[in-house]
Amino acid sequence: MDSDCLSLLPAVCLVLADPKQSPPDDTSLEKLLDWFKELHSQSDGQVLLQHQPCLLEFISSVCMSKTTDPAILSFTLKLTGLLAATTQELHLFDEGGLLVNVFEREAWGVCDLWEDASVRSGWLQGLLNMLKHQQALGFICGNGLIKVILQLQNDRSLFVACLANQLLVHILNFLTSPNMTNGSDVVGSSESSLRPDWVSASSEIMNAVVEALSSEDHPQVLQGLRLLSLVLSKCGEPIISTLWKDVLVPLEVLVNRGSESLIQTLITVLEAALGTPLLSQSEYKVEELLEAMLGDGNRKECFHCAALIVKLEKCPEVLKRKATDIILLPLQCVSTQPQAEKEINVVLKEQLSQKASCISLLMQSLSSLAQLAHTKYLFEDISIHSITSSVLLLLRMCSGHCPTSLLHSNAFTHLIGCCKVQRCGLDTLGALSVYEEILDLRKDIFGVLLDYLQSPDSHATVLKKTFQAVKRWIVCSPFPDLLQFISHDLFPVLEKRMCDLRWEVRDSTLEFITQLTTALNGNSGFTEALHTSGMVSVLLSSLADAEGYVRASAVAAVGEAVTASSHQMVLVSNSKLLDEALVQMMAILSQDTEGFPRRAVVQAFTSWLKGSHLITALELSLSSVLSLGGSDFDWEVKMHTLELAEVLMEKTLTCCPYAVQNFGSSEETRFTQALIKFKNFGLFDLLFNSLFDCDRPVCEKACALLVKLRTLTAETADLDNSLLVLNVCGNRWGDEVQRRYLNKQQAKASVSVTNGVTGSDEGTDCGLHCTKDISLPKILQILDLDDMQRMLTLSSDHVVNSPRSLMEDILSAAQHSEENIVDCY
Amino acid sequence: MFPFHSDFRQDAAGKAFVFSKTGQFSDFSYITQNGRLTEFLDCVIISHFHLDHCGALPYMSEMVGYDGPIYMTHPTKAICPILLEDFRKITVDKKGETNFFTSQMIKDCMKKVVPLNLHQTVQVDEELEIKAYYAGHVLGAAMVQIKVGSESVVYTGDYNMTPDRHLGAAWIDKCRPDLLISESTYATTIRDSKRCRERDFLKKVHETVERGGKVLIPVFALGRAQELCILLETFWERMNLKAPIYFSTGLTEKANHYYKLFITWTNQKIRKTFVQRNMFEFKHIKAFDRSYADNPGPMVVFATPGMLHAGQSLLIFKKWAGNEKNMVIMPGYCVQGTVGHKILNGQKKLEMEGRATLDVKLQVEYMSFSAHADAKGIMQLIRMAEPRNMLLVHGEAKKMEFLKDKIEQEFSISCYMPANGETTSIVTNPSVPVDISLNLLKREMALGGPLPDAKRPRTMHGTLIMKDNSLRLVSPEQALKELGLSEHQLRFTCRVQLHDPHSDNDTLGRIYTHLKSVLKTYSIQHVPDGTVIVESIVIKVTSSAEEPNLKVILLSWSYQDEELGSFLSTLLKKGLPS
Repeated sequence: MDSDCLSLLPAVCLVLADPKQSPPDDTSLEKLLDWFKELHSQSDGQVLLQHQPCLLEFISSVCMSKTTDPAILSFTLKLTGLLAATTQELHLFDEGGLLVNVFEREAWGVCDLWEDASVRSGWLQGLLNMLKHQQALGFICGNGLIKVILQLQNDRSLFVACLANQLLVHILNFLTSPNMTNGSDVVGSSESSLRPDWVSASSEIMNAVVEALSSEDHPQVLQGLRLLSLVLSKCGEPIISTLWKDVLVPLEVLVNRGSESLIQTLITVLEAALGTPLLSQSEYKVEELLEAMLGDGNRKECFHCAALIVKLEKCPEVLKRKATDIILLPLQCVSTQPQAEKEINVVLKEQLSQKASCISLLMQSLSSLAQLAHTKYLFEDISIHSITSSVLLLLRMCSGHCPTSLLHSNAFTHLIGCCKVQRCGLDTLGALSVYEEILDLRKDIFGVLLDYLQSPDSHATVLKKTFQAVKRWIVCSPFPDLLQFISHDLFPVLEKRMCDLRWEVRDSTLEFITQLTTALNGNSGFTEALHTSGMVSVLLSSLADAEGYVRASAVAAVGEAVTASSHQMVLVSNSKLLDEALVQMMAILSQDTEGFPRRAVVQAFTSWLKGSHLITALELSLSSVLSLGGSDFDWEVKMHTLELAEVLMEKTLTCCPYAVQNFGSSEETRFTQALIKFKNFGLFDLLFNSLFDCDRPVCEKACALLVKLRTLTAETADLDNSLLVLNVCGNRWGDEVQRRYLNKQQAKASVSVTNGVTGSDEGTDCGLHCTKDISLPKILQILDLDDMQRMLTLSSDHVVNSPRSLMEDILSAAQHSEENIVDCY
Repeated sequence: MFPFHSDFRQDAAGKAFVFSKTGQFSDFSYITQNGRLTEFLDCVIISHFHLDHCGALPYMSEMVGYDGPIYMTHPTKAICPILLEDFRKITVDKKGETNFFTSQMIKDCMKKVVPLNLHQTVQVDEELEIKAYYAGHVLGAAMVQIKVGSESVVYTGDYNMTPDRHLGAAWIDKCRPDLLISESTYATTIRDSKRCRERDFLKKVHETVERGGKVLIPVFALGRAQELCILLETFWERMNLKAPIYFSTGLTEKANHYYKLFITWTNQKIRKTFVQRNMFEFKHIKAFDRSYADNPGPMVVFATPGMLHAGQSLLIFKKWAGNEKNMVIMPGYCVQGTVGHKILNGQKKLEMEGRATLDVKLQVEYMSFSAHADAKGIMQLIRMAEPRNMLLVHGEAKKMEFLKDKIEQEFSISCYMPANGETTSIVTNPSVPVDISLNLLKREMALGGPLPDAKRPRTMHGTLIMKDNSLRLVSPEQALKELGLSEHQLRFTCRVQLHDPHSDNDTLGRIYTHLKSVLKTYSIQHVPDGTVIVESIVIKVTSSAEEPNLKVILLSWSYQDEELGSFLSTLLKKGLPS
């Protein structure tokens, strides 16, 4: 394929370099670049340049032209960098001074091309591509390009600025890499072993960072901080400590200034510093700076800082405790008793009195708490009990319950009906379920959660979060009167919610029931409650919901309920449930206009089949499911049907209650009987039809199953083929099999004729030409399953999306003069 | 706040590619690096259901973790998941992509969506409010006004200023936003009449069917497809044609259901005919089964996907490509790396799997039916909304430049066209309402001048008190009284040295005389305690015992007499007349 492409390359280069041609869209150029990258990584780059002189010609002609399109120029810059990534190639480029021509920034400035962000970005990317060896660094430093890169660091384009930062970090890293320092010990070594121009390059970059940090210009400070954090996370010593020493003073100024808009970036810098050896050396003041960011908890910004510090992974413990104390303040403040008033600082009080800041502070407080709970953080100064009570109180306030004694009546009015705080609070409450110490609060917790589930004002998203919290609390610690709670308190609310006007609520409710049933699988009391409470019949009626998503969730819920009940098949109500479920599900599979419910039905069957209890009860429906699912117009239903077929095959062929049991019979007979059973189920029709489907994943799955089947038939020597004959006429897959069969026969016949062999068995077979019935093992042989499988693992567009195809497209677009007006959807 | 546009990789011209080379989504790390999008964005607004506007939404909300509100109109909320599902299936089908959003994610994402009604103001939070306007383009498409305090931005999404076969024209009131962000797909084009294109389309389909050929129209699951369906349905009815028309995907049934449901969003004509029959209940268009592709005789088939890169449409294309009687009509853009792209480029031999080639003998037609505003339409919208600034997106740079000049000339407003990733700063003049005390107003009135008039701004002096989220302008005296503060006088002082061989008192006398002659209209006093006073300016003279001829003149004045004070100090520096 590559040789094909290489032969097309000169023509493609000509087209691209022609300023009269409009350039191909940028996806084509990027794909072309990807191909070069791959080619370059596979072979010696020098070979490519030497054998393809058209590349150098292309690059030089693009650079000479004053009318080059920015897209082509950008592509050329990137390509040049890529091709100059080895010293030999760089040498080839350098011979005619081409490299300087390409990266000479002034040249583009003349014709305004530099104004185009894609050119600036291509220029940077080109250098980044090239920077793989010493000479490249020498080229950058020697031609004063560092200065340009530093300018681009403050570019008006976000992408260019970001790329410039990456390149600068790469340069710094490269300067200190072992191959640059003449093999001397890098860590702790001075820069003396580096070439003087490189030393000056690194100090130029570092000075720029210091300068940016001391600047009064906000965007420049931000860019400086971004570069600093990149250096800290990507570079090693001695760069880190050298730079840190220089930036420490301006950094301290920035930290102490406490500007709101810099907090996030400053914390990112300090977070990066935490991961470096700087942390362990007190003179570098990393911890001190973080502490300074928090202040004494009396600044407006300290809460934001605290929220960020709480989330830091490598944060020193003392600092984390301090941040935790600060970030929990808003939560405690809103929900504490009046006697604690004097402890509350003025700033916080003021913040809580304004609605926007009150909500944002409480959300920060709650999400930080949830974050801490995820790591099961051990609170010291404050009990988890009182924190949880605060969360509960807050949630009550949100739903309009005014506590008897309230410190911040303002905050209360801000909170009523506030969905944001409700969602966040419920997430936090769920997260707190990891603390066993607060199990005694369970009654209160479920009380609040039930209130939310019952409240007619609860938003759909709030209800979803409530369900998640309920589930977490039920699963974490089953309690003695759990069943009582479920059947008396929870189920009535759920039944009501399943009739909610909003499909989102009905769906979340059904999903919750499914999860609950799965979690309490095997709990006979729960199963009984499902039946006696009338929940099952509500579930069954949800199968006819108007919304497809809800029907699918109802199918899953009913499926789970059937599985749960299957453990107690003795109950009459349980078998009735299965019968009813089967009728309705089959109706969905055959008639539902949406894919989700149909997919859910097949998945339910698969999960039933995986469990061993239901198998005999399902036998009658299985062939219908396989045939309906296999001919569905949604290929994902077909995929799920094939998964069902796979489980069916496994269950039948391995030792399980459903395996063909014929005591005394040989293994071969049992296998034959299993195959006959498959045939009766219509499993082979499903597999062969799917093999020739137009959707790749379906074919791939079917092919894999057929290969498995082929292996089994090949292993079983004495198969009675006469019992396993399939009719190949009158169906789609049969025609294809017959066509291949005939082709093979013809090929064999012609071989026989040329060899002069006649009268052999094969010869007799050849005479059959068209046949109606072929045995399964024969079909499996006729089909080149291995070949098919190999093809199917490739993307379905691998041919049209190949590099050769790309080049042909570029060429044909150039010949095709008539322009199609691009039509955006 | 984050108005969505073009999720997928964009080319330099800003055109969005739904199926990009890598299929990758937008890099949200440019918004925030730690992925906590919810803290950075107040809400997400989706203007309409096309994938270059909503394709990354489940990725953003379920994989990156944005948990805030998402707004879209009712029809968009209903139709969006169909397209996302289609997009997901096609991507997974093609590559077996595993790191892609799932059906469950699409559903969970849609559960977070808050539906918008047209012209209804929705309060996102304390400060932010949004309002949707009809945008034409596709069913449910909306332009959105986003307002914080007195400042506002209108984001058009894609819109169409001329009604088409099933949708009306975009409309907005004179909301005078600080900024209007408009798409500019057809920035310089004045499009030919859509009627002509439609006639052309019908003629081509009709001719092919008449000569017994088959017509394949690859489409995305919805949008354009519905429009073409109405077109063919009406034509078939009128001409009494018998050739079958099929729609190959089951998805469309649901789509048509929504078109029926949201009939109020369509144009007047469709709404009117609804009394007799629903335009989206097609009599001639039936569901397609794969086996029909081999049926003899003419037929028209709409099949997905639209770029002929996988699935049904490609399968049918392969079957029909060899017959010159057949025709394929591409109604949309095709990205490189698809069969659609190749045949639009005029390639007649396509390489298939296993080095096999497919001869393309059937006719290939390209027809654009896209519903975007053209240059005229964009100007019309500006006239409607009267923005103070304009920002063009979603177009080609060169064409946008032309339109930008035109807009700046005709409307005398600034027009911007930032490239992807570029920041544009716009100066706004937010009007902040302030209460004025009656006393201050009366005093101002007493000074004379015209009566207050809303159209004639006037400067007023007073003290602004910002307290409890309210702003009041009162007289300085009242402010002092209200706030319990005492007044402080601010005085400027200055020393001027000059040689004068007289006594201090005489020097002062000479200064007095000099000033009397210079400042004739001012009242100048020579006070016996050794000072000269001009208005609020106090002048004293001192000298040292060592150098009695070197006089230091001390000037002091209040803020109100700043000008006079400076004048006097300059005057005295020049010395006294002898």
